[in-house]
Amino acid sequence: MENITEVLQLFLATENFVAIAVGVVIGVTVGSIPGLTATMAVALALPFTFSMEPVAAILLLVGIYKGGMYGGSITAILIRTPGSPASACTLLDGYPMAQQGEAKKALKMALYASVIADFISNIALIFFAAYLAKIALNFGAPEFFWLICFSLTIIISLASGSMIKGLIAALLGILLSLVGLDSVFGSQRLTFGNYNLMDSISFIPLLIGLFAIPEIIEFYRKKVIPHLRAKASGAGVSFSELKGSLKSIVRGSLIGVIIGAIPGTGATAAAFISYSDAKRRSPHPERFGKGEVEGVAASEAGNNGVAGATLIPLLSLGIPGDVITAIILGAFMVHGLTPGPLLFQENLPLIYALFLGIMLSSVILLFVGNAAIRYFSLIADIPKSILFPIVLMFCVYGAYAVNNDTFDVWLMLAFGVLGYVFNRTGIPAAPFLIGFILGPMFEDNLRRSLLIGSNDLSIFVRGPITWFFIALTLGSILLALYRFITSRQKAKQSASEPGAGA
Amino acid sequence: MKKILNALCTATCGGAVALSLSVSTAQAQDWPTDDVRLVVPYAPGGTTDVLSRRVADLLQEELDTNVVVENRPGAGSTVATGRLARGGRDIDHTILMASPGHTIGAAIYPGLTYDPVEDFVFIQNMIDIPNVMVVPADSPYNSVLEFVEAAKEQNMTFSHSGVGSSIHMSGELFKTLTETNMTAVPFAGSGAALPALLGGDVDVSFENMPTVFSHIQSGDLRALAVTSAERSEFLPDVPTLKEIGEYNLDQFVTTAWFGLIAHHSFPEEATAAMQKALQEVMEREEFTSFVEQLGAEKGTIAGDEFKAFITDEVARWDEVATEAGIRQE
Repeated sequence: MENITEVLQLFLATENFVAIAVGVVIGVTVGSIPGLTATMAVALALPFTFSMEPVAAILLLVGIYKGGMYGGSITAILIRTPGSPASACTLLDGYPMAQQGEAKKALKMALYASVIADFISNIALIFFAAYLAKIALNFGAPEFFWLICFSLTIIISLASGSMIKGLIAALLGILLSLVGLDSVFGSQRLTFGNYNLMDSISFIPLLIGLFAIPEIIEFYRKKVIPHLRAKASGAGVSFSELKGSLKSIVRGSLIGVIIGAIPGTGATAAAFISYSDAKRRSPHPERFGKGEVEGVAASEAGNNGVAGATLIPLLSLGIPGDVITAIILGAFMVHGLTPGPLLFQENLPLIYALFLGIMLSSVILLFVGNAAIRYFSLIADIPKSILFPIVLMFCVYGAYAVNNDTFDVWLMLAFGVLGYVFNRTGIPAAPFLIGFILGPMFEDNLRRSLLIGSNDLSIFVRGPITWFFIALTLGSILLALYRFITSRQKAKQSASEPGAGA
Repeated sequence: MKKILNALCTATCGGAVALSLSVSTAQAQDWPTDDVRLVVPYAPGGTTDVLSRRVADLLQEELDTNVVVENRPGAGSTVATGRLARGGRDIDHTILMASPGHTIGAAIYPGLTYDPVEDFVFIQNMIDIPNVMVVPADSPYNSVLEFVEAAKEQNMTFSHSGVGSSIHMSGELFKTLTETNMTAVPFAGSGAALPALLGGDVDVSFENMPTVFSHIQSGDLRALAVTSAERSEFLPDVPTLKEIGEYNLDQFVTTAWFGLIAHHSFPEEATAAMQKALQEVMEREEFTSFVEQLGAEKGTIAGDEFKAFITDEVARWDEVATEAGIRQE
């Protein structure tokens, strides 16, 4: 009882509510500006939290984190420029929707999916932190290796149309991910002696270039203005649409929770895994990538599901899973608090006050997001001849802002040309991204496993987690093969039946 | 014109503060004449960044001018450092927060366009963070000597946060000095490396104190030694490697240091003004508590002493990198 009053005392301070609200607003704003990521905003806000009460300080940073996770989807949907890496997957269906005059629907679905996933993630944090933390600790390099193998099978389902083109894209992504320093020996790979490439190719210029620039090139090449006056801001999400996507949202959230609880995978991978899972289960997978609202829902659920769950290894083990949680760890330490098992014993009321605040942040995200959509969706109504020059300016700015370096601007433009070539030749961009993100994780964990096991291959089958993911990987490949064969047979049958498909 | 504007600003806004400053020394008036730029050679959010922002906050009060923090990450700090070495505009108002990346980077990155010692002025070492030699709680080794003897017989693995980090190089240094069999297992940052250590996938690590301190307290990790010259006040019962002495370990003294450097043309009066201001900063309560939270110690060396330290460090890491085969030709 005493504890409850203490928790409420800690939680019911005006400063906390202001901190959450300000944090979410900053997060949504910053997240929606390409090149400015939630990570940067959290890092820049950190010094301001030094003088605040611990609960308010952490909540401000968590608010920015969560807001930024959603904010990234706004520009992804509206101008095909992901505000943050994690929202790259959202644009696959979000942008086509915006083009079809359904910008508002896409934005609203992204918001609802984000909030629901956020909520589920928070519940997982509050009730299952201890269990999930245990899984995280048992997740060594070999387990990671198989998780990545399983994730790589995603490429099969994302390669819409031609499997060969999908593989070309994926392998190209892996090839480019090799640029930089070798993780074991530190030797240079494909850098051509260029210093700017030693830290590997920056992800944000790549994303902006790959997605935003081809649209702009295409627009000026055609010189026709596809003037959409079908009330571009359009209608919101109907209840039946939300209900239809709910299963994907819940599944995506759970995928996000698992990925988030394991340090070092990240929200971008979670979004893609959730998206491909939704596509695979959908009765009409062919609609994905052409403006399927469920695709937006699945992607956003995946990346927001990570947000609460990354706090699990942070709070229960003191392990930051990504850069943002590393900064939040810094904020804890500045206030003399050390996350880890001891924190739960010594500062339980504080933890519960934090949990309450984190739950509240989901609700605030819903309101802030709704307000943001009202104004942002107007962007969809701006004529492209005015919008695109501004977008181009943001692209240049965003690419520069990451490292304060003009090299990244050139990199962005180069990927713009590559993206344009992809568009013209029908090579899908999604497998390219998956290859680029997962390629290094695959290699690093393979080599790490071999180093840990002194080149003994038995380390790859060392426990139930590895067996589980091996089964999933094999199952996923077999399922894809089965579908491939049956679809071919169907195609043959329909070809032999005259008049079919007319 | 700019000078006049600045002077006007100082006169009007500064008021009493400006008056008291002008009494202190004649030198302090000549510098700074403009905003000071503090370059952080790493991305926002890391230890270097957080420290720099803390220092910048306090420094601008002492210098009575804006101290603007600018992040220029890349190639283990060598991109930003290379840029500083090239000089350019505002170079007399630009400082950089250097760290072990400065000396280790010189050893492992090929074709550096600058000399890590002669191209810079070494203003002040701000903090030192010791590394701790830690093993998992269920490890059979209870002392450094037990560990070394076992490592002579069988191959050991050590985790680190990335090629060229002080954690990595400490492991390589240990391996070289003790002539043992050890394999480096790289991770992307300390956060990713920690579970492998806690879960017992690797045998040992030479992690930064702030990363492992709470795990040592909770009993999940066992500290065998600290790498600094003196015992850490946070782990008073844990010996230094230097104390152990055997197996050449008396030569093992290394810390993750963070200090401010500038271009070699940085004016002498500016160095003096900076050193004076930094002394004040380092005595501030805010700085002291910040250092304690990091489990770090305040830096003690400045100027020529700092430069001599860097010279030794560059030579030492060069040798270790060559020995470990991570030096690129």
